[in-house]
Amino acid sequence: MKNNGILIVLVLLAVSTAQAAETATRPSATMGEPGHDHAAMMRKAKTSWTLYPTLKVRMSGDSRATQVITLAPQNIVADVIEDYSNDLNDEKAHSKLPVGMGGAKFDRSAKGGFHMLAAREENGANVRVASTVYYNGERGAKNPTAMFMQQKHELEIIPQPQPREHSRYRANEDWKFMVRLNGKPLSGQKVYLETSNGSMSEFVSDAQGMFVMHVPDDFKAEEEGGQASAHNHGRRGADLVLATEYVEQGKSYLTALNSNYGPDAFDQRNLAKGAGFVLLGMLGAVPLLRKRKTEQKGEESDNA
Amino acid sequence: MLKTLFPTLGRVRFTVQILMLFLTVYGGALLGSYTVDRISQALPALSCAYDKTTGDHCILIVNQHLLHHRVGEALVNAQNFTLKVFIPVVMSVGIFFMFFFFLNKMFCGWVCPLGTVQELLYRIGRRLGRPLNRFNPKNVGRVRPVKWLMLLVLVLALPVMAGMGVVSNELGDPFCQVCPSRIATTLLTADSEQIAVRTSTTVNFALGALGNAMFGFIIIAALAARQPFCRICPLLSWNALFQKLSPMRLVKKDAHEKCEKCGVCEKACPMDIHEIGTQFGKKAFHEDCTLCGRCAEYCPDDDVIQIKFFGIRLFGSSREYYKKRVKLETPEGTQKKRVISIHPGKPKTENE
Ligand code: SF4
Ligand code: SF4
Ligand code: SF4
Repeated sequence: MKNNGILIVLVLLAVSTAQAAETATRPSATMGEPGHDHAAMMRKAKTSWTLYPTLKVRMSGDSRATQVITLAPQNIVADVIEDYSNDLNDEKAHSKLPVGMGGAKFDRSAKGGFHMLAAREENGANVRVASTVYYNGERGAKNPTAMFMQQKHELEIIPQPQPREHSRYRANEDWKFMVRLNGKPLSGQKVYLETSNGSMSEFVSDAQGMFVMHVPDDFKAEEEGGQASAHNHGRRGADLVLATEYVEQGKSYLTALNSNYGPDAFDQRNLAKGAGFVLLGMLGAVPLLRKRKTEQKGEESDNA
Repeated sequence: MLKTLFPTLGRVRFTVQILMLFLTVYGGALLGSYTVDRISQALPALSCAYDKTTGDHCILIVNQHLLHHRVGEALVNAQNFTLKVFIPVVMSVGIFFMFFFFLNKMFCGWVCPLGTVQELLYRIGRRLGRPLNRFNPKNVGRVRPVKWLMLLVLVLALPVMAGMGVVSNELGDPFCQVCPSRIATTLLTADSEQIAVRTSTTVNFALGALGNAMFGFIIIAALAARQPFCRICPLLSWNALFQKLSPMRLVKKDAHEKCEKCGVCEKACPMDIHEIGTQFGKKAFHEDCTLCGRCAEYCPDDDVIQIKFFGIRLFGSSREYYKKRVKLETPEGTQKKRVISIHPGKPKTENE
């Protein structure tokens, strides 16, 4: 029985080294090249992937201690960014962050949990709102549902729910949102989606003001590693924005909600190989199932 | 009424385990998507953060994450090694302990979804008439150090080293990458993402392959061996670090003559802790104990083995109880045939 265990481990090692050799060549072809990183930075600097107003969350600094989070309004002019924390009972639940050169600085010592951030521009009969959600990783976060549902603007797009900590929107996933006007669900409302990878689509809200966003699968293979950084654990990402417009009594409202999203869940994963290894492990345990002739309580083997 | 619903401690535990399985695997779907941010975020059981509907997540992912991104990174820039680094670590261990304090290793025996899955598989194995493979007192010592090694290397050392840049970044969460609970709990939500092995880097692939193979091994082994993964689980050793600090205890008499010839409790113990039969007093509460209470159920003498909370007896062995218990199930866990009572006026007694 013990020999069996050793055999399995050997087979596993052999198969994984074989695979290792196969994968090892791939990342090095795209990563290690300085030119590639430069290209990624250029892409990042170019903000014209959408004309809708957005709030870009930027992180700088290598370690957590030196990390600075900047909120940069794009396609919108605003002096302040409104910050709603998910603890409505806190006196600092709603604060205004002044926008300086390059954007507003997010107060990292602020309450933990989800923050709804918004920039607002009122120009005569036009009201434009850019909004995004930022998760300030701290322990003991309150349930943010009430904060999300609290009315903040005339026209609003509200996540139902927001992806929780450590998860995010990913290609081919469906996520629900509510669109509201003056706190009331808006039915039959058109909402447009644009991504920094160049996709466009539109959704229509139902009688309850709900619509489902299907995240497009628009990452190109050659982008592997692009925009990956220590902050997002080396994951690829792109930006998306949902936007909707409404005209009422001569006033026009435009509200946008932007976020980051990632590739498909199975991107850089292999189901068949995964299942193969599970099967291999299962086979390794089969000898344990056989009844021994003497049926004595004997040795047990473990794959440890 | 309670007596008929819960005739044995085993039945109470089974019920709690099923409830906890639902909370840990589907809690987010049942109680709202943000539940996971709001219970402990440092549970002393392998409730998995990768499960999209989990109600809470384990402490091990937090340990790996903090050691990688806070402690490891701060060690490199020694000048930044301030209190700031330690506060989150102390906070998460503190919250872990707030929960652990009350239930101690019952988090293994009563709460952990992977513990429950293994037990359910073992029950199926009994129905299928599979043998029971177990460690005897001579060879059990060989596997016991592995859980400490798993904790030291996969949960503590490698994440710190990854943060310091000594080893590659993909080794920042090595235990999660091999953790069978990640695969088991996500499969229970019909999510096959975690079983698909990561191909992004060699390290990810090798760890993923190892994790998958270990998962496969465990689910088959569990049909013919009790709690195969628990023996090497780093959360068992992590919890063992704190088990003496909780007032929830397994307490055995300081001396009992019959133990030498009896040994039924050893047979009942799913962790093959022979010390429960051979040792007395404090030594009987072993580092591998999951506080399942089976030894106390199957000890045939009054109050030799007890589960106590702050010295208050919650459950203790008794001759009466033992006689009833062995009629339903053998110490090894094989269910006896259903008995229909023919005594007039008495309803049929049912087995679990
Ligand atoms: S993979 Fe395992 S250790 Fe990591 S979060 Fe899930 S249960 Fe915890
Ligand atoms: S020892 Fe077993 S029951 Fe305890 S945490 Fe590990 S897998 Fe779960
Ligand atoms: S010693 Fe007793 S309580 Fe502990 S694991 Fe063994 S049977 Fe369960």
